[in-house]
Parts: sequence; C-alpha cells; structure tokens
Amino acid sequence: MFKNRSLTFLAMSVLGVAIGTAIAGCGSSRDDGKRRIAVIPKGTTHDFWKSVKAGAEKAGEEFGVNIIWTGTADEQDKEKQVQLVDSLAGTVDGICLAPIDRTSLVRPVERAKKIGVPTVIFDSGLEDSEITVSYVATDNRKGGEMAGEYMAKLLGGKGSVVMLRYAAGSESTEQREAGFLAAIAKYPDIKILADDQRAGSNAQVALQKSSSMLQANRGRIDGVFTVCEPNNKGMLQALEDEKLAGEIMFVGFDSDPRFVDALREKKMHGIVLQDPFHMGYMAVKTMVEHLDGKEVEKVITTGEYLATPENMDEPRMKELLAPPKAE
Amino acid sequence: MQNSVADSLLAMQGISKRFGATQALADVSFSVRGGEVMALVGENGAGKSTLMKILSGAHRPDAGAIRVAGRTFAPGSPQQARDAGVAMIYQELNLAPELSVEDNIMLGREASRFGCLLRSRQRPRVEEALELLGHGELRPDAPVRSLSVGAQQLVEIARALVHDAKVIVFDEPTSSLTGHDVEHLFTVIRRLRATGRAIVYISHFLEEVRQLCDRYTVLRDGRVAGADALEGVSESDIVSLMVGRSVEELFPTVPHAPGDVLLSLDGLCGERFPIDATLKLRRGEILGVFGLVGAGRTELLRSVFGLDAVKSGRVRVCGATFSPAPRSAIAKGLGFVSEDRKGEGLAQGRSIADNLTYSRLQPYSTMGWLRLGARRAAVQRWMTQLQVKAQSPEQDIAALSGGNQQKVAIARVLHQDAHALLLDEPTRGIDVGTKAEIYRLIGQLAAEGKAVVFVSSYCPELLAVCDRIAVMSRGRIAAIRDTNEWNEHAIMEAAIATDEATGDDDERKSA
Amino acid sequence: MNESRPETRSEYRGNLSGGSRALAENGHRTSGWQLLSTTLGPLLALCIVWLVFAFLDWTRPLGGTFAEVRSFQLIVVHTAAVAVPALGMTIIIIAGGIDLSVGAAMALAATVGAYGFLNGYPPAVAIGMCIATGLAAGVANGALISSLRVVPFIVTLGTMMVFQGVGRFLAGDTPIRPPRESFAVLDEFQAPFPTPAWQMFSPGVWVMLLLGILVSITLRYAVFGRHVFALGSNEATARLCGINVPLTRVAVYALGGLFAGIAGVYQFAALGEGNPMDGIGKELPIIAAVVVGGGSLSGGRGSVLGTLSGAAIMAVINHGCTTLNVGDMYQDILIGAIIIAAVALDQYRQRRMADK
Repeated sequence: MFKNRSLTFLAMSVLGVAIGTAIAGCGSSRDDGKRRIAVIPKGTTHDFWKSVKAGAEKAGEEFGVNIIWTGTADEQDKEKQVQLVDSLAGTVDGICLAPIDRTSLVRPVERAKKIGVPTVIFDSGLEDSEITVSYVATDNRKGGEMAGEYMAKLLGGKGSVVMLRYAAGSESTEQREAGFLAAIAKYPDIKILADDQRAGSNAQVALQKSSSMLQANRGRIDGVFTVCEPNNKGMLQALEDEKLAGEIMFVGFDSDPRFVDALREKKMHGIVLQDPFHMGYMAVKTMVEHLDGKEVEKVITTGEYLATPENMDEPRMKELLAPPKAE
Repeated sequence: MQNSVADSLLAMQGISKRFGATQALADVSFSVRGGEVMALVGENGAGKSTLMKILSGAHRPDAGAIRVAGRTFAPGSPQQARDAGVAMIYQELNLAPELSVEDNIMLGREASRFGCLLRSRQRPRVEEALELLGHGELRPDAPVRSLSVGAQQLVEIARALVHDAKVIVFDEPTSSLTGHDVEHLFTVIRRLRATGRAIVYISHFLEEVRQLCDRYTVLRDGRVAGADALEGVSESDIVSLMVGRSVEELFPTVPHAPGDVLLSLDGLCGERFPIDATLKLRRGEILGVFGLVGAGRTELLRSVFGLDAVKSGRVRVCGATFSPAPRSAIAKGLGFVSEDRKGEGLAQGRSIADNLTYSRLQPYSTMGWLRLGARRAAVQRWMTQLQVKAQSPEQDIAALSGGNQQKVAIARVLHQDAHALLLDEPTRGIDVGTKAEIYRLIGQLAAEGKAVVFVSSYCPELLAVCDRIAVMSRGRIAAIRDTNEWNEHAIMEAAIATDEATGDDDERKSA
Repeated sequence: MNESRPETRSEYRGNLSGGSRALAENGHRTSGWQLLSTTLGPLLALCIVWLVFAFLDWTRPLGGTFAEVRSFQLIVVHTAAVAVPALGMTIIIIAGGIDLSVGAAMALAATVGAYGFLNGYPPAVAIGMCIATGLAAGVANGALISSLRVVPFIVTLGTMMVFQGVGRFLAGDTPIRPPRESFAVLDEFQAPFPTPAWQMFSPGVWVMLLLGILVSITLRYAVFGRHVFALGSNEATARLCGINVPLTRVAVYALGGLFAGIAGVYQFAALGEGNPMDGIGKELPIIAAVVVGGGSLSGGRGSVLGTLSGAAIMAVINHGCTTLNVGDMYQDILIGAIIIAAVALDQYRQRRMADK
C-alpha cells in the first residue's frame, strides 16, 4: 500500500516539477513555422553573454527566426556542451556556437553537419574550420596586442608586468594572451614577472590567484593584464584589498559596470572591449544568410576597441562599455 | 492493581496496541502512586517496551487512557511527554559527551535572555538537583566524557529533575553498571521516592527488584500476568508469572564428559586486558567465565580469537602454538560469537544466508564464484536444525527477533566447523524460551565433543550450564573452580574481592 | 531523544512484528509491488521521468522529437559517460566507502591516454595506459585508506587534488591534443549515431552494458562480491568472519579506479583530448547516480540496475530539458530535487520495513 503511495508521490512530484519548469521555459518556444536557430554561448552567467543574447535576439526579430538560447552555467563544462550540441542538432535549422574547447566541439559540429544542420562559430575558434559556415569573433590577438601596446605606453617603455591567464584550451583567451606577450616582447625593457597562473572562469579563484601573485611580487609590479571578465573582477578586488589599486597600471579585457567605475576612478587604466551585441547579431545574421543560400565570409571580425579614462565618455565607447543586455 | 486510580500519580488504563498482525498490548492497566517504586518485569517481547514507548509518546495506543497527576495525558511526541513530566532513563545514555555536566542537565531548558545563556541562573538549579540526588560533589563544569558510567547516569537523572519530572522510568538502568554504582543508583532512586515522585523500574534482575521496589507488575504476551506488593512473594513465583512455566524448565542440561585438552592459554596478555591469563579447555567441556562489566571477559575472548592485539603469552590449539588473527583462528577451529550482535556479530541489512556463511564460503564456491542454490540448501538445513524461525534464508537478518538472530550467529560458528566455541554473552537480550534452547544447544555441542567458553554476567545460568567457572577481575582470571565448588555469593566475592588484591599487584609491578 | 534511539532494539522490533512467529505464520513471499519498489524502483522512476518528458514534448507544437530513436541514442550515450565510472562507485559505496577523486582520476587517465596517442603508440597501448592509470589511482586510494586508516572521504578529497595536479604537471598545464588520425579507433566510440546504423548504439554503450552485467554478476555470485557487501554492512562482522578487510578494501578501490580508467577512455573519446581539468565536478553526478539508484552512503546497499537507472534519469532530464528548451538552471533544480526525493523515499521505505 505505502509503496503505491510513495511511488505515486514520486511520480507526481516529478510530473509537477517537470510541468512547472516546462511552463516556465516554454514562453519563447511557441512554434509558428519560423526557422529555429540555436545559439549556444560558452556560459550563461556573465554579462558578456547577455549582450550576445541581446544581439542575437535583435537579429532574430529582424530576420524572422526563432532564437533558442541554451548554454551551460559553467564555462568549463565542455562535456556538457558537447551533449548540448548533440541534443539540439536534431531540433533546429542551424547552430551558432561559442565553443568552450576548440578540439572537443569538433565532432558534435561534424555530426550536426552530417544531418544537414550547419554551424556558425562565434567568439572563440574551432580547430576545424572546414566544417563550419563562418567564424564571427573579435580579433582576439589584435585585442591582446592593443593591450600590450597600451601597457607599454602607460609604463613608458620599461617596468615589470604580470599576466593572469584564463583556462588552458580556450582559443579566444589564448589569443589575447599571445597577442599581449607578443606586443610586450617588442619592448626589451619591460619584463614579464609572471604569466603562468590560470585563474579559470571563476572570479573567486581569480581573486585568490591575483592576491597570491601580488603578494609574491610585492613592490616589483608596475602593470597587470587580465584577459577576461571574471579575472578582471578578481584582480580588481585583489588590488583594492592590497591597497594597490591605482598605483599599478591595470589593463583588462571585457567590460562590466564595475570596471566602468574603476576606469573612472583610475583603478583600471584601460579596458579592451569587444562588441558582444554585434557579435550575437552577426552570428545569427550570417546563419540566416547561409540558410538563404547566400555566400558568406569565412571570417567576420566584430571589432575591438580600447577604452581609457580619457575616451570613456565618447558616445561609441559608452555604448561599448555598457552594451544592451538581454534579461 | 486494586489500588484506586484516584491516588495514582501515573494511571494507564485499558491500553491496547496492535502492530500489523501482532497484538503487542491487550487491555493493560498499570498504575503507580507517588512515593513508590513500581517494578515492571516480563520477558523480552512481553510488551514492557511498547508500554513505555506509549508512555513516552513514541507510540500512540489504539485504545485506553493515561492520566498523569490526575490530568489526561496523551503525548504526541517524546518532547510533549517530557514537558508533561514523564522522564525516561535508558540503559544507553543520551548525553552529549563533549558538553559539561551543567550543559547536559540544562539541555533544552537553558536559562537565557535574548539568546544569551545565563549561567548564573542555571547553576543553582543544577546544584540543587545534584544535591537532591545526594551527589553535590559532582562538578557542574566537568565534561561528561570524563565521568564514569554511573556518574553519567546521575546526570541524566538530574536532567529529569530539572525538567520537573513527576514520573521517572528507569529502563534496565543497571546493565552497564558495576556493583558499586548499582548501590549508588539505588540510594538515588530511594531519595527520589522520598520526594513523592512515581518511579517505574524495569529490570531483568529480580534480586534488584526485590531490593528496591515496593510493588510489581508482570507482563506476559502483552497482558498483565500479575501485579501485587512485593512483600511475601518469592522470586520463583515472579519467574513463573513471567514465563508461564517452572524454573526447572529454564536450564535444560545435556549430559557430557570432558576429553583431552583442546585450547590452552599460557600467560596471555592483551593491550590492556587480559593480564596473564592461563587456562586449559577440554573437548566436551563447558567453561563459564564470569566477571563484572569491565573485568576483561570480552577482551579475553577477543585476544584469543585475534580480534584484539596480543602483547605476550601463548595460545595453543591441540598443542600447536598459533598467533591469533581471525582468519587463522577460524582455520584452527575456533569460533567466536560476539556480545554485540548489532554492532559486530551480524551484518544487519544482509540476509540470513550471508550472515550464516560469511566465515566459510568455500564449500559453495568454485574459482571465486558462488553456487547460490547449494548455499541456500545448506543454510536451510542449518536453520531447521537450530529452529531459526524466518521466512527464508534470503530474509534480512534485521527482521528476525533477537533470539533468532543469536541462533544465526551461533549457526555461523557451527557452520565454519569450529571445535572450540567462544561465546560472549550468548543469551543477552533474548527471551527465556530461546535462552533455554541455547542452553540445550550448548549442552549438545559439549556432548558432541566440542569445547565451549561461555562468558556471562548472569550467575544463575553459568551455575546451571557450566562444568567449570572462571571468575575474572580487573583483567585477571581470579579463580577457576569446578561449578559445584561455586555458589552465587562466592562468585560475586571473587569478582569483587580480587579488586584490591590486583590493585596491590599493579603497584608492585610498576614499582 | 526517544525516537532517535534505536530502542530496545532489533529483537524488540522483531517481537513486535510477531518476529519469528507471525512471519512464519504469514509466510508471505516478496510481492510484485515490493519488488517494484525496491529493486526496480529506480528503473520505474526512469520510465516515469521519460514518459513525462515525452508527453510534454508531444503536446508542444512541432514537438515529438523527444520520443524519436535519435533522442534515445543520445540519452544512452550521455548515460554511459556517467554510468561507467558510477559502476565502480557502486562497488565502493556498497563497501561503505566513497571516492571523491573519481573525476580527477578519469581526467588524469584521459590525459595519459591522450599522451599515448600523441606519441603515436599503438591504440591498444594508449588505451591500456589510460585504463592502467585509473587502476593505479584506485590502488593508491585503497592503499592509503587501508594503511593510514583515514576515512575515505578525506583521503580521496586529497587524492582528487593530487591527481589533478599530477595531470597538469604531466600535460604541461595545457590540454593534450593528439591528431585526430591517431585515435581513429575511438572516433566512433562515443558517437551517438554509429555507422553502420545497425549497431543502434555507440560501442561505448554496448561496453557499458557488458560491464554492468559483469559487475552485477560479480556482486551477486562472486565470493568477492559477498565480501564487499559484508564490509559495507558491518566492517566489524567482516573482520570477525575472517575476511581480509584491508585487502578487500584495496581491491574495492582498485576496481573503482579501473572503472575510472575506463571512463577516462570514454571521456577522451567524447572530447578528443586529454585535459586534467576536465574532471572538476564530475564526481558529483557519478555519486548522485549511485545514490538515486538506491545506493546507501552508509554502505551495504546499491545495485547495478539502480545505478544505471540513476545515470539515465539524469541524462533524460538533461536531454529532455534541452529539447523542451527549458533553461540549464531548471535542470539543476530538477536533478537536485530528484536526488533528495530518491534518498528521502528510500529512508521512508527503510523505516516502514523496520516497523513492519
């Protein structure tokens, strides 16, 4: 008797939660014969991706396609992203993907292609560009070089800098890191004190790594460079904690309201900006054009910009520093 | 009983409780007046615990009413029962060992203001309670972990006092106490009686009941078998009420004769206990080992079997020395039945078949793979032989009664073909009927030429069943004599008297 | 106080139920329902979860893709990735242990395997290296737990970090990416839609089923299996019965490591690279699969069928939510709720059993 009851209970609770979540999530999936394009970011939590989403949705409206926005919360869970691409491939007309890992995502993209679902890669590259429609991204290497050149200018061509890396295997951030190091290498009087710490996608870890790094090189650091939003956050916090904010030249990559304030207070001295809104928009636009049978560019760059305390109030910079965000 | 309900502090009337197909209690009436100690006795399963669980709010009765101090009492939970003035003291204590005496006593009744503890307010209440129990010397700030078992029990009783308990139930309170502490406890209970509280005293030890209680109620099969004042009633009368049969049937014996020496210990010393244990055990002999709790009886068996480390001395089986370890002990034909069925002896949650065969799976395995059919058949045979009552060999051991569990534990030892059986409290916590079966079984085994070591803290069964009895004290074997040279008094004396003697001994050694 | 006590205790409980007598009289045998709720409970839950998603998807306009074969193929492949290490975890949990390092061990094994492929070793050698790495990690866990007598939770928490660090050291702190041709044998191993199509499922799924049967048989019919259950139900009893407890424990963790090594092959096959960081957080779904499948963290209980069902339930939820376009966060909530519900239900059942 109780077994019946308890099993029924389990069934009911599962049913209840499932229906609840389905209703909660169903809003956007009302089907109306429009094309369905899946947009899969690396992660869903950071502001950057919310701007990408806003851009993608704008393009969706403009071109009359349904955007299916799905991603993993954890920007390192590539296994889950592989599964996600596989799961979605059967239900959509095209995929826009920001791959967490340039190697691991090759085969799911290949499998999607096999059943006639094309993929546009955005933000971060995929190893095999043969199987994709196009690559829509910031020129990350160039962005890194811009940061390096600017850092050199800030330091007057000499001094010591540290760089905090993201995770191994992420194409976009590796490009930024390489670009920065290449630019710095042109200045023989600038020394790289440390560039071997990887802070990952978690601001908490970034904070710990930053603090240790600052501690270890105390008094010797003239400049720091961080390559993405969570790392900026961690480093900024560490600098503030150590009362070093403003004294050490700090160049970051990607924006966030906190960094805008930091820039104004000259706790940060430069931020390399991408145009995530444009990136999301262009990814979807490129996919639509491809599905319409048009010829598309193999590589589309969406621009990279350097915001400084001096130029931050120019209209274009303002827009890039606080790009529109989807909720 | 016939006393009017009106002047009873606790009155339970017409209590019935049914669990599934079993009538656990049928129309039980039970009342205790203020200022009296009521003994509640009966076999295991007679319904004592169910009755007390109803009183403590853990179960609800199907029928019947309870009144405490004249008011209707229908606790929905143990918490409510405590608040209504009913306190339970169990043999296993419910204390937080890391907290102090005071904190334990005040647990749940802390004097506080705005969430801050007001020690100054609760200290007098704690001291008052301890004083009332005649143990003002206990320091309220001592951690409970540092106290002896007897003193810890005092803390629990003091807690009941602080909680304004009108009815205090003692459930087998002496089973883990030494003789000294038992005396202390009795003094405390008498003091409580003098304060006009109603005391319920549950015990297997009828001698204690006689010493302490004013009246008794005997439960058998969920019914009241008898209730009266204790004066003028003999112990065997009570036993007859309990079991519904005569005392002679309790200790069946099987004739057997000792043969050659099977197991001998020579100056065996463990990490702490035993100290310098020397004895010989013959085939076809039942050797009783008596000792108070903490005397080292269990440690003696465990060192022989290799469960506890052996520091020095020798164990010989059939004249050949062996270094004790469970695996080699089993191979040498030793079998050990643990006193702690639940914690050690049996794997609760596993089947009867598993538990019975764990120590010897070879007969049913080929290259490490089991033949379950063959094993099942063998287990079934053992179950029939020892009259284990259960659905099937695959049944979870936890679903069996204590007596049947014990039979499985003994069956395992027989199944592994042990020649020397080390039985640690084999009759603890099982009903009288099964006890009798186990005594008979032990006799039969001896008659078959097996050697048995029978550890117990219950003198009468040793005197009835064993050929020789060794008495242990402070880790040493104080004396070994033939059973007919012992009586209960002498055994007790040996168990206690050597306390001082060995104390001197220790000093001499350390000097 | 009272209700938390086991009370005057098992024998009393037995007598209440009429213990021997009543049971012997009733003599009722395990009913169908009982079987359903105990052994087959997780499987039943799996079916229910699947049906719920299939129904919800079916009611959607243009829906119905969830019930397609394609979805089924995906689900089993996703299941295999968790289920294979969870098989090893099942043995460990039955033996009363836990292995927090399984994710790290998997990733380490995958990294070593990737290293083998990168250096052009024959595929059998590279795969062997991968599995052997897992095995070695398991032996290390078992040996540490047995010799240091530290609780498994702590030891494996430590080795989790150690394995990850060792992996990063070996890999030079960057993923090892062998050229694709070098591991052609594994290319289709975890592909959801295998060619030729008659295989139905990827080789990885078939291997998982085979391993599941092997573990199941071992637990039921091997002397070792009995020892594992004995160890988990009551270590003292196991010792008393002459079972070599330390050795059994090492063997249990070694097996767990073996499965982590095999899971490393799966991970490598799925991702095409070896990255020591890929193990982060992977231990939790693995443990969850065992627990949802009826495994008890206090040892002595667990089953292969349950574990496979547990892993499949999570895969169904993930795929189902993706199909329904329900956000990632709802998947988390749903899976979390199911874990708690499964354990609560099991506890409830245990209590009812005890009361009977």
